[in-house]
Amino acid sequence: MAAMNIERLKPHFPWITLVTLVVIVSLIDPTFLRPSSMLSLAGDIVPLFIMALGITFVIYIGGIDLSAQSMANMVTVLATVWLTSLGAWVAPAVVLMGAILGAFSGYFTTRLFVPSFISTLAVGGVAFSVAKWLSGQKSVSMDAAQRDHLFGWMIGRTFGIPHELFIAAALLLIMVFLERRTILGRTLKAIGAGEPAAVASGINVARYKIAAFALSGALAAMAGLLFSVKLSGGAPSVANGFLLPAIVAVLVGGTPLTGGVGGVVNTMIGALIVAVIRAGMLYLSIQATQQQIVFGLILICAIAFTIDRAKLKTVK
Amino acid sequence: MYEMQKVDKKFPGVHALKTVDFNIKRGEIVGLVGENGAGKSTLMKIIYGAYQPDSGKILLNGNEVNFANPREALASGIGMVFQEQSLIPSLTIMENIFLGYEGQFVHFGMINWKAMATAARVQLAKVKLDLDPATITSKLSFAQRQLVELAKVLTLEERVKGDLVILLDEPTSVLAEEEVELLFKLIRELTTRASFIFVSHRIDEVMTISDRIYVLKDGNVVDVVVKGQSSIEAIQHKMVGRNVDKEYYREHRQKPFDESKVLFELSEVSLPGRVKNASLKLHSGEVLCLVGAEGSGREAIVRALYGMVTPTSGQLSIKGAAMEQASPRAAVERGVGYVPRERKIEGIVSGMNVYENLTLSQLGKYSTRGVLKIAQEKALARDWISKLSIKASSENADCGNLSGGNQQKVVLAKWRSGGSDIMLLDHPTRGLDIGAKEDVYEMIRDMCEAGVGILLVADTFEEAIGLSHTIAVIKDGQIQKQFDTKQGAKPTPFDLLHHMI
Repeated sequence: MAAMNIERLKPHFPWITLVTLVVIVSLIDPTFLRPSSMLSLAGDIVPLFIMALGITFVIYIGGIDLSAQSMANMVTVLATVWLTSLGAWVAPAVVLMGAILGAFSGYFTTRLFVPSFISTLAVGGVAFSVAKWLSGQKSVSMDAAQRDHLFGWMIGRTFGIPHELFIAAALLLIMVFLERRTILGRTLKAIGAGEPAAVASGINVARYKIAAFALSGALAAMAGLLFSVKLSGGAPSVANGFLLPAIVAVLVGGTPLTGGVGGVVNTMIGALIVAVIRAGMLYLSIQATQQQIVFGLILICAIAFTIDRAKLKTVK
Repeated sequence: MYEMQKVDKKFPGVHALKTVDFNIKRGEIVGLVGENGAGKSTLMKIIYGAYQPDSGKILLNGNEVNFANPREALASGIGMVFQEQSLIPSLTIMENIFLGYEGQFVHFGMINWKAMATAARVQLAKVKLDLDPATITSKLSFAQRQLVELAKVLTLEERVKGDLVILLDEPTSVLAEEEVELLFKLIRELTTRASFIFVSHRIDEVMTISDRIYVLKDGNVVDVVVKGQSSIEAIQHKMVGRNVDKEYYREHRQKPFDESKVLFELSEVSLPGRVKNASLKLHSGEVLCLVGAEGSGREAIVRALYGMVTPTSGQLSIKGAAMEQASPRAAVERGVGYVPRERKIEGIVSGMNVYENLTLSQLGKYSTRGVLKIAQEKALARDWISKLSIKASSENADCGNLSGGNQQKVVLAKWRSGGSDIMLLDHPTRGLDIGAKEDVYEMIRDMCEAGVGILLVADTFEEAIGLSHTIAVIKDGQIQKQFDTKQGAKPTPFDLLHHMI
């Protein structure tokens, strides 16, 4: 009986968790509830959220993308280096680059049968190395005037609302549409929930899987672009420490590693949970260097809690 | 010897067992029949300790017992031979037999393999298997594995003092007819050592082997039949609660097919694996049934038609056009629909609702430039839910929660709504209860009337004979003989068997 209730409650856990955490943190420090602090908190989480959005699609089909952080690192360097020559075209260029590298991961996974955790790890290694090579292992900086002229709109505030939030909202809307209203979204759901049935329905499963990885790569690149604009430059290590919380955001949001359920709206809730946990750690004066310990532990708990054991025969 | 008194078990929303009394005597074989959901598996799980009853008593030789888990039941001599084969394929026979009980062969931390092999031979002799205990299990046939499972359970004899109760869950589902005979002979001989509980969908088999049969319906024992005192029809009537149509396979609705319209043709097709030079034709309105043992090549032919296997030689053409590049996509585009054997894995996507499942094979048709027309999808689903009387709360119901029969209807509707007119049905009634089977037979006749051609791999000989217009018997990848099975001129199972082995 109790087990049944938990099953029924499961889809609601993410937002219950979010509300509970907000209450706890605001009890620790009531200033947390001030609109201005909440808005900047949300604004700060946006690059991570964009990265998590992409990873959502890959986890949704039962895979994993470990390349997102390195991809973002590489893009900060690429965007900075290319800005002078490409101008505004740097944005589509880096996003395309991300999509292509993501598609490579997908190709390795579906056609060469390399498990996604290895193929994305390898592609991530390549991206990281490209970043180091192009930057000469130093941080590079953008021409401030050119940055402000072309991409300044990304980081301002209107009525006190950080522009990043508008970008996040727009991307979320597009992804929700993609997930719920398009052949791509429906097919990815079928692959996540029952891949053999998708194959037996005559669907070219490999093609759609590659698309999911490409989408993840493109969104990781967007996150990287936003980073470089915010920092007015790039370095092969600026996004380090983002992969773990991004995966945590997807999983605590309610998209389990086994795929098939959850989705991008869940990831939004997950990203907010990560933001609140970060703020809470700040108030409890947990140092930045220790934060990954917490996220590592949360990740393990989230997986243990959300995974659909009926789908797994053995875990290796 | 073993007795259940007023055992009751409830699950959320389901009263699975309603004060059930059950007993088994020493050396007796007791059959257990009932439709899906009648409570068979709950009853079995309570017997071997996987579930605990909510109320009621379990007595073993008059003493009350409570099993917290299957291992405790095993220690009291109650063992289970699983339907899903529980042997680990990469281990040797003896390792499987003594899995979890290796301690007896360990000296100074090392396993004495010789002693284990000798002990395993003793167990194998009980089931009349003359195999080297060091053989890797994956090399065995299904029938041999089934016997090894039995041998594994029979190790209880040495471990437990007193009587044994052995549960056999659908032990014949993977066996060919003659293997079933052997198994039954063996079970009868083993009654000197143990009592058996035999569970099967095949009522004729249960009647052959059992001394008494418990008939379950909706969690109640509706009757206990003593051997030879009832007929299959009477038992079916009790299971279903109504008369089963005499025209079970709807033979009165079998119409001659249209010989002028060929839907697919195989000429001298060889496939990777066993199939050699197979030639077949399917016509509009025809049910063509492939009959053969597991692994004879019937599945390979079905898979080739669905584009999952490319012929190594010969020609496969669909509606007059030769298939060059084999792929499921190409097959679906030419009107082929595939109802796979593994309904829950390959048939439906559980976690997706009825309309999402229905359009999965035809998303292009329900979208413009990649954007779905969900309203149209829903309308289509509502239409087919009423057409096939699918029992689902709405088109938004999760297919994973539908019963087996209704899931199968969704799979059939998926292809029919997309206009598929070549249907490949691989064991379409496997695991369905009688009512749902009849629905499927009815649908097969409906499809034939609509001009659909059906390639069928049936669950039983009777089903194959009853439903088909034509039967092709396959053995070792060769089509041995084709039978014309017109209404009123059907061959007998014996006629077919003759060409199978």
